[in-house]
Amino acid sequence: MMDGAPFLVAEDIAKSYGGAQALRGVTVALHAGEVHGLVGANGAGKSTLIRILAGVTGPDSGRILLDGRPVAIPSPHHAADLGMSFIHQELAFVPGMSVIQNIMLGLPKKTRFGMIDWAAIAHEVAPVAKRVGLGAPLFAGVKGLSTAENWLISICRALIRRARLIVMDEPTASLSAGEAEKLFRIIADLTRSGVGVLYVSHRLDEIKRLCTRVTALRDGRTVAHLRGGQITRGALVGAIVGTSAEAQARAQPAPRTGGVVLSVDGLARLPRVRGVSFVLRRGEVLGLGGLVGAGRSEVARLIYGADRPDSGTMTLHGQPFAPASPAAAVRAGLGLVPEERRTEALLLHRSIAFNLQLANLASLRRGPLLDGGRRTRLALGVIRDLAIKAQGPDLPVARLSGGNQQKVAIGRWLLRAPDVLILDEPTRGVDIGARSEIHRHVRALAARGMAVLVISSEPEELPDLCDRVLVMAEGRVVLELCGAGLTRNAVVAASYAEAPAHGVSA
Amino acid sequence: MIADTGRRLSPRAKAALNFLARYGTILGLAAMIVAFALLSPRAFPTVGNFRNVLNQASLAMIIATGLTLAVIVGELDLSVGFAASLHGILVTGLIVSDGLPIPVAIAVVLAAGAVIGLINGLIVTKIRVNSVIATLGVGTILTGLAFAYSAGVPIVAGVPEAFLQLSLGHWLFGIPNDIVVMVAVAAALWLLVERTPLGQEIQAVGGNPAAARLAGIEVDRIKLLGFTISGVCASLTGILLASRLGSGTASAGDSYLLTAFAAVFLGSATLRDGEFHVLGTVIGALIIAFGFNGLNIFGAPTFSQYMLQGAILIVAVGLSSLGRSIAER
Repeated sequence: MMDGAPFLVAEDIAKSYGGAQALRGVTVALHAGEVHGLVGANGAGKSTLIRILAGVTGPDSGRILLDGRPVAIPSPHHAADLGMSFIHQELAFVPGMSVIQNIMLGLPKKTRFGMIDWAAIAHEVAPVAKRVGLGAPLFAGVKGLSTAENWLISICRALIRRARLIVMDEPTASLSAGEAEKLFRIIADLTRSGVGVLYVSHRLDEIKRLCTRVTALRDGRTVAHLRGGQITRGALVGAIVGTSAEAQARAQPAPRTGGVVLSVDGLARLPRVRGVSFVLRRGEVLGLGGLVGAGRSEVARLIYGADRPDSGTMTLHGQPFAPASPAAAVRAGLGLVPEERRTEALLLHRSIAFNLQLANLASLRRGPLLDGGRRTRLALGVIRDLAIKAQGPDLPVARLSGGNQQKVAIGRWLLRAPDVLILDEPTRGVDIGARSEIHRHVRALAARGMAVLVISSEPEELPDLCDRVLVMAEGRVVLELCGAGLTRNAVVAASYAEAPAHGVSA
Repeated sequence: MIADTGRRLSPRAKAALNFLARYGTILGLAAMIVAFALLSPRAFPTVGNFRNVLNQASLAMIIATGLTLAVIVGELDLSVGFAASLHGILVTGLIVSDGLPIPVAIAVVLAAGAVIGLINGLIVTKIRVNSVIATLGVGTILTGLAFAYSAGVPIVAGVPEAFLQLSLGHWLFGIPNDIVVMVAVAAALWLLVERTPLGQEIQAVGGNPAAARLAGIEVDRIKLLGFTISGVCASLTGILLASRLGSGTASAGDSYLLTAFAAVFLGSATLRDGEFHVLGTVIGALIIAFGFNGLNIFGAPTFSQYMLQGAILIVAVGLSSLGRSIAER
């Protein structure tokens, strides 16, 4: 519908972090008054592109044109001055301040005799608030407002700044169906007044419905520009997944058919987990795939007793299992390597030996005291078995590389040998070499009879590592894959499965 | 500021800074002793004076090592000084007014100390009140109880000689009892924290409670233990203080709060990078005791002790955070 010259073009943008090439050549052209969809799997480069547009980080190469002229965006402040507004998944507000104070945050304010003239400001803000349908009183506090209202406040802020482009990152992720509809109406209203919207979402139905153009990213490259009638579910999934990458049948190891160790039935904790059931067998590696936010880590926390479920039951070795705390889960024979190893797994300033011992202190007891010699021997054993690159067990964990830190987090459980080990993103931020080593160790643990549950957002990782994969979307298991059906493409396609009854059950 | 300039420091300067952050307090203690010895060669460097310093240090060190357990698990206990005051009154009251045998009275008061610590811990872990507020509130209530129990009048008359001997006596090789108790408490707590499996859990809870929890450690239980030990040590100090003073007075122990915190934070800047530990607290308490002793010998007025104590606390916390910022670099 809107044609003519695009007002913002990002041309051939490349960016690498350390050794990892996040963007290899991305081109996006945004037109005034259109909703432009940005799609791609986790790690395809969407976030990096947004960070570059927002001035959070700079590109290694490529250029950005605004109204045909090259511009530099050295800081978020510049991005705002150029007319770009960014609304993120996790909205940042100052909780103690009022709605209007948050809308005006960081903006020059009208003053009278040196005092901020809130009445005059409210006079300007009120029509904008009305336009987006913000119901909350301007001078009320933001505390306790719903996510939807927070979105409206953010949109108000963008409009007051006279933004020409509003970037929305997963706007409907935590909105109900009704709230999402309201947002769609506001977006339509924005585009009518000439504001462009860059709409980032995993929800392909929304992309299909809202967007006039779509850019698809894969592995840091622009792989498709779609417009109008080309935007179909099939075309979108095809662009996101790619068709060439794979196809070879994977070498199928002998199926492991041990007895059921852990069974989970109807586990739910709203809003993230909406009824998950599966069994985990002795000696198998079970994958839990899906998009970030699909509820996988939350399922792990429920199983591990870190959170309490709203409903659902579990059995461990056939006995009812409802751990009240991680300590109870550990006593029952579980172990968890959490996603955030630096904040949730390790004491960074402490030594390797100190970190390794934490789940094994009972076995290090000699009389009332700690057996320091045994602690050192066990730590040296883990360092050798997992090939942790460190001068010795007394080295602080902070001095290790990401991959070696992760090995320490895993090594803690090697000493205890739990019946069930849950690994949440075991190779995130880990280099390729360490990654295949970690995979080998995980397989070895399963071969010894441990039941392993692996959560991963990287579609390639699960077919490599797992005997069986459950794909989660919107808090439910949508598909089970195993054998020849377990491929990267199948995992990705299932991750985008249409949510059954989205938003209604909330 | 230091963290900023630190990045541009040469390796040698960084190593020097590192050395200073770890051993600066010990060097300071040594320098202080040498300086006092040179300035006052007759009064200061004598066996009698050193025994006097240790004796003065003992009560503060007992309360401070107990407090160390609370801060290692990541909480503050501001009730310890007020608790010591209450326990001093309680133990004299139980002996003088209620006629309890001395060992029974002591056992009752130590148990009361444990209960108060437990209450602090339960308020913090179960009701999730910030420990500063919780222990300040409990401490204020304890002050009220102390005045209520004693009606505001010190319990002086009728304190038996045997109770006075508890602090003043020297039953073991002629070493004053206070010093014996101090060494025993410090050694026991050092062993607990540094050399037992439970101690590793205590350190883990303070270092990263989220990681400790996911490693299967009962974080709340460990915190309760930290508060309880802090409470028991406060009551031990209160008992010995009452014995030393020969009376129970409603605010006699209050000033130990500040001394204990200064010792604990000086200790965290000693030997380790901003980490609280028992041995550090012992050294911190010695620094403060020698400092006061020096002021006394040179006839400095009493108000200067307050000023020194406040200054030491600020310097100690500064050194402690300096140590941590070096460790993070």
